[in-house]
Amino acid sequence: MTIGKMLFASVAIACIAGPVSALADTADKKIALSNNYAGNSWRQAMLTSWDKITKEAVEKGIVAAADPFTTAENQATEQAAQIQNLILQGYDAIVVNAASPTALNGAIKEACDAGITVVSFDGIVTEPCAWRIAVDFKAMGESQIEYLAKKMPNGGNLLEIRGLAGVSVDDEIHAGIQAGVEKNPQFKIVGSVNGDWAQDVAQRAVAGILPSLPEVAAVVTQGGDGYGAAQAFAAANRPTPTIVMGNREDELVWWKSQKDKDGYETMSVSIAPGVSTLAFWVAQQILDGKDVKKDLVVPFLRIDQDNLEANLANTQKGGVANVEYSLEDAQKVIEAK
Amino acid sequence: MKLSSGTIRLIIPALSLAVLLAAVFYMQPRAMSYTGLNLLFNLAVPIALATVAQMLIIAVNDLDLSMGTFVSFCACVTATFLQASPAIGILIFLCAIAVYAAMGIIIHLRELPSIVVTLGMSFIWGGLAVLILPAPGGEAPGWVRWVMTSRPPFVPMAIVASVIIAVVTHFLIMRSSFGVLIRGVGGNFRSVERAGWSVIRIRAGAYALAGFFAVLSGIALVGLTTSADANIALRYTLLSIAGVILGGGEFVGGKVSPIGAVIGALTLTLAGSFLSFMRISPDWQIGAQGAILIVVLALRLFLNRLEKREKNR
Amino acid sequence: MTEAVLKQEVVAARGIKVTFGAVKALDGADLIIHAGECVGLVGHNGAGKSTIVNVINGGLSPHEGEVSYGGGSGEHGISVARANGVRCVFQELSLCPNLTVNENVRVTHSELKGWNWRARALELVRRQLEEIFPGHGIDCDSTVDDLSIAERQMVEIAISFSGANERPKLVILDEPTSSLDAGLAAQLMAYIRRFVSEGGAVLLISHILGEILSTSDRIVVMKDGRVVADRAAKEFSTRSLVEAMGNVVRELEWQRSATARSCAPVLTMPPRKGHGLPFEAHRGEMIGLAGLGGHGQTEALLDLYLSGNSNWWPERQRDIAFVAGDRSLNGTFPLWSILKNLSIASLGQLSSRSLVDQSREDLLGASWKKRIEIRTPDMVNRILSLSGGNQQKVLFARALATTAKIVLMDDPMRGVDVGTKQEVYEILRAEAKSGRTFIWYSTEMDEIRLCDRVYVFREGAIVAELTGDEITEKNVLAASFHGDEAA
Repeated sequence: MTIGKMLFASVAIACIAGPVSALADTADKKIALSNNYAGNSWRQAMLTSWDKITKEAVEKGIVAAADPFTTAENQATEQAAQIQNLILQGYDAIVVNAASPTALNGAIKEACDAGITVVSFDGIVTEPCAWRIAVDFKAMGESQIEYLAKKMPNGGNLLEIRGLAGVSVDDEIHAGIQAGVEKNPQFKIVGSVNGDWAQDVAQRAVAGILPSLPEVAAVVTQGGDGYGAAQAFAAANRPTPTIVMGNREDELVWWKSQKDKDGYETMSVSIAPGVSTLAFWVAQQILDGKDVKKDLVVPFLRIDQDNLEANLANTQKGGVANVEYSLEDAQKVIEAK
Repeated sequence: MKLSSGTIRLIIPALSLAVLLAAVFYMQPRAMSYTGLNLLFNLAVPIALATVAQMLIIAVNDLDLSMGTFVSFCACVTATFLQASPAIGILIFLCAIAVYAAMGIIIHLRELPSIVVTLGMSFIWGGLAVLILPAPGGEAPGWVRWVMTSRPPFVPMAIVASVIIAVVTHFLIMRSSFGVLIRGVGGNFRSVERAGWSVIRIRAGAYALAGFFAVLSGIALVGLTTSADANIALRYTLLSIAGVILGGGEFVGGKVSPIGAVIGALTLTLAGSFLSFMRISPDWQIGAQGAILIVVLALRLFLNRLEKREKNR
Repeated sequence: MTEAVLKQEVVAARGIKVTFGAVKALDGADLIIHAGECVGLVGHNGAGKSTIVNVINGGLSPHEGEVSYGGGSGEHGISVARANGVRCVFQELSLCPNLTVNENVRVTHSELKGWNWRARALELVRRQLEEIFPGHGIDCDSTVDDLSIAERQMVEIAISFSGANERPKLVILDEPTSSLDAGLAAQLMAYIRRFVSEGGAVLLISHILGEILSTSDRIVVMKDGRVVADRAAKEFSTRSLVEAMGNVVRELEWQRSATARSCAPVLTMPPRKGHGLPFEAHRGEMIGLAGLGGHGQTEALLDLYLSGNSNWWPERQRDIAFVAGDRSLNGTFPLWSILKNLSIASLGQLSSRSLVDQSREDLLGASWKKRIEIRTPDMVNRILSLSGGNQQKVLFARALATTAKIVLMDDPMRGVDVGTKQEVYEILRAEAKSGRTFIWYSTEMDEIRLCDRVYVFREGAIVAELTGDEITEKNVLAASFHGDEAA
């Protein structure tokens, strides 16, 4: 055996042995992100987070590739075709934010049959072979009332700003708020409007209903609508109630200015776009051979009086407060019962 | 060798499909397999059926803007009624086809623009789909799933289905008497009328046949996706129109080609995959898809001109 | 009486009245056609010829009067007419252009049912074409779109004369020779005589009076929705026929403008296809493009037009106007009013600040309505409410209303009646005198003779230039056919 051959052999052994000692067995695995839509700030932040975290992971050699793909028209059949293309391209795992909970099932079944791990998040799918990282929107609604109950034990009148009518997320958050009010009967919802998760719509809707309302102690919201509500109250010359915020940058800025002025107190809650990175780590863990249950719950991102400044500093102008998840976070979510 | 204008009409779509396929194979050799071809083309089957349906409407100089919502509606019916109680499901489909025929009659009798009528109908179909299936779900009937996922020897189902659709519709529309009459109405309805035919019946027939193929499209789609969604096929309206035109059809004059339409549907599907393999950013994807369409249509215009020049010589 | 009994009645229309709004299209017309005769039907455009044809073939129900087929009575409609062997070849070509020849046969002959109808249809039309136009050279498997306009007309005529199970009893030919050259027209006329001698009936409508006189047994003259004369053909001459229609043949009474050639030409074109003569046109000239149909005259006109107007970027002030020959294809906007059809070419002059000045548009409409006598109660009526000849007048007015110095005309008088033609000729003459140049492709010798100078086309190139008194039928024909004789 020549020296050259010996060298070669040792290198080969090192190569085989290397990954065992390193982080994971997934160094040669490729993960794809199938995303149905990229047209708003939340989705943009989601893609940015994905890029940031996965680039690091690829550089560290944890995975071989992690490529994002987005469909152009936000249509289920288009995304189904995209997933089939990803199967052809030989990815080992596909992380999906789905356009429809059911219409992709056929394509996802094809992927599972081809031995591919499918992890869905945010827009989850019902196909049993896929993993789901769901947001407990109901708990998100309930947490608002819990916070208010702690802050004002005597209760009061509530104004509820709902989202886009007919969308399941709106129904779920609303159900959570309803449940919270039932548990805390000192609160009473005196008015409800649709703010469509948009600042201007919310402002118009709240301005419209305000004259008919008694004194409002707090406003429960769904995100994206808090700043508009605050504007409406200011314009009507009414005392500013406690408005629960939704992590948008304009909301946080307004909150900060009120806090600096007279110590205004509230909380802000929403799902972080960085959840895509959580899904990435979950997929990586599954590829690594970890036993992961099919249904996981993603924690939502809550901002309180004390960590407002820190979150605001991390939030881009016009964006959403975000958090990127690490492998450890993912492991915590996986182990949570 | 003298080529008829019909053959020339088919050359460009066939050629562009071949070029795209070669490009895809080059970029992704894995696609050059039984499973690969199936994955590339199986979602083209419902599109091809919808394109054939649209082609029938275009053959009588009309345009169906409700194709996408109608296919969605059919998908919802397939995933609910057809699965739970097939008799009611079939009855609903028969009614839907009758509504299509009635649409043809109304458009003909009242001389209404088909675009307006079908646009109106699209809201009705969309509403019905939401009523039937308020939340995404439902389940594909077993036999539909079996047909769409069956694995015939040697050639994948997607290719077999496309060829069957092309051949059947070719005979139905290009060779049969009824097909000749449908195209005749598109070419010169007065001449058909003067020959003693009932144009209203032909139009109603063309619409009903279109409805039938759209129903098949919805069923095939659910067979692939396993469940439905009220918005599942909204894309199909424009895809089907683009497929007909890409396949050598023309908006007026009854100049259509069923084989071309199927090829057009396959080309459109493949164009999407091609762009995906190219890793084109979503911001540019729609534009790139449009560019492919423009290139193919420009080629066709160029060929038409060449042909005309040849004839004048 | 005995003669009528001997000859079986194929169609009889008695006391027919049809009105379209305020217009009386037919005002008590009678038309009876017997087996074994060719009836010539002549009259102005707007005299009611097309209307009575539509009544006979069942496409139009008369408001008064009755139509009976084969001596029977009662029912009426397209299918009844067809069941009684009535077929029709229309003035505007009525094949389906997207279908092949044999598919068109299938559309026309509903009895061609069942398996293998394609082969039978092909056989049928091929045999019939061979019979009417021996040596036609038409490929019956090709799409109608791929045929020339003359070939299409031949196919349509052949389809109408053919019968799958039984031969037609009556064939109505509405301007059947409008796109055929003299040789083909002669073949058709000869076939009509054969068909009639075998017991068929033909209703022949044509503006070429020679055809009518030589081919018909009997001639019916219509005027203003009534039959004004119904006599044996041999009792008529060209002159008496025209008189019966209400027109007097006007003699050529104008002087040709022989002085026009002094200045530089306004439009020139090098020899076409590399041989023959160059083309040039001078101010105030009326130039005829003659020769057999389809020998490159239309293409020459299009090239002339494009030499003055860009194909890509229309200029604001156009020097050349074009009057299309095939009005349903290239001329009219069928959904628009007469006024809009007239003013479309002059919108630039009619508008201020990009907005069309309505009062000026109305004024323009009114003045041209008077000048060329468009027969309509109101200029805002749809263009299709006019008869064919009047539609053509509107197209003339459209070109003349512009400021264009040169007007190109692509056989614009096809299917226009004698009276209208005379009116248009005078307008043209007056316009030419005021300095406009007309370049006029015509298939009719009378029109060619009106021109100052004539270029004769053969096989795409100009082979002869005739000036003044040289312009005679004999010279034009000699130039058109020269090549054939030499070969």
